[in-house]
Amino acid sequence: MLIHAALEFPVWGDPNAPAHLHVAPEYLERAYEETATPNVVTAILADYRGYDTMFETAVIFSAGLACFFLLRTRSRKDPGDRFFRHLATDMVIRIQNPSMKIPDTPYLQPMDSFWTPRSTIVRAASRVLAPFIQLYALYVVAHGHYSPGGGFQGGVILGASFILIALSHDLRTCMRQTPEKLIGVLSPAGVLFYAGVGILCVLAGGNFLDYGALAGWFGMAREAARSLGILLVEMGVAACVMATMVIIYANLSSAGGHRQGL
Amino acid sequence: MLHIIAMLSIACGLIFFAGATVGILRFPDFYTRLHAAGKLDTLGVLLAMAGLALYNLHPFSIEALLTSLKILLAVAFTFIASPTATHAIVDAGVRAGLRPWTKQEDDQQ
Repeated sequence: MLIHAALEFPVWGDPNAPAHLHVAPEYLERAYEETATPNVVTAILADYRGYDTMFETAVIFSAGLACFFLLRTRSRKDPGDRFFRHLATDMVIRIQNPSMKIPDTPYLQPMDSFWTPRSTIVRAASRVLAPFIQLYALYVVAHGHYSPGGGFQGGVILGASFILIALSHDLRTCMRQTPEKLIGVLSPAGVLFYAGVGILCVLAGGNFLDYGALAGWFGMAREAARSLGILLVEMGVAACVMATMVIIYANLSSAGGHRQGL
Repeated sequence: MLHIIAMLSIACGLIFFAGATVGILRFPDFYTRLHAAGKLDTLGVLLAMAGLALYNLHPFSIEALLTSLKILLAVAFTFIASPTATHAIVDAGVRAGLRPWTKQEDDQQ
């Protein structure tokens, strides 16, 4: 029956399909007037279809959560041999006794059994490039109103910059910069921030995610308030996507141990 | 005048891209192919993007200048990132134990 119904669909790309006759021209005409956002895609994604995007963000958050719950292990039952590198001499110590405690000193660096020194060129270049990648990610988030971009893309670029650090140095360096607690808080905080903006709209007297209702509070025109609302939810999306990317990468690459990885 | 310089620059960039393509297709092994791809692509991008930045400047305005500056930033980024990526791939090849091609091996086959 589904196949039979699918045969009745308009042809792919048919300009006379119902979706292209009424809805699309309507959005193209009214989106800029109503939301003061030149990029119609962003206006539809974050304003007209705000519910959809909110639950998309929730899906991304639950993907990170599932990865965390499935893979994360606090301590292995059999840690096996542990390796430490003495930083001054580059000598490697191998400890076979699992109950032996190693004091936390700056002279000994815990290392992975399959650790290989990364090339200095790659490390230096990633360290130089990472801040610029992050800056560009923020630009993409903030510039979603005017050009292709927005929360999802900016969040992915932001997360990729941390993954670049993890790839070029090691996972520990990455987890020092983005502690697990921080990204664990950021990921749900992004979704909650999105939903919080929606609830703020309700408190201001509008519908859920009806950013125009915020106009009275901020003392601006209704269109400008919708533009601002889009920016706010994009920030929530970016935070969620960034944190989820790092969570998924860290858990998958280290089998949940967060001690060693690619 | 500006357009002519820009087009010359883009054409030079395309020549480098063509050279890189021929190199990737014709060179005998991994390292030499990466050599062609890494070097010529970087220079090709530099020339082509610089040409675009110049071409964009002709009806001069602040917006056009801003766009050109962004293009130049992208070039600077590629100029650091592309050779580093090539280096990382070659490094991985050396670590994995892939031996460079020599004339003798080719004769034996």
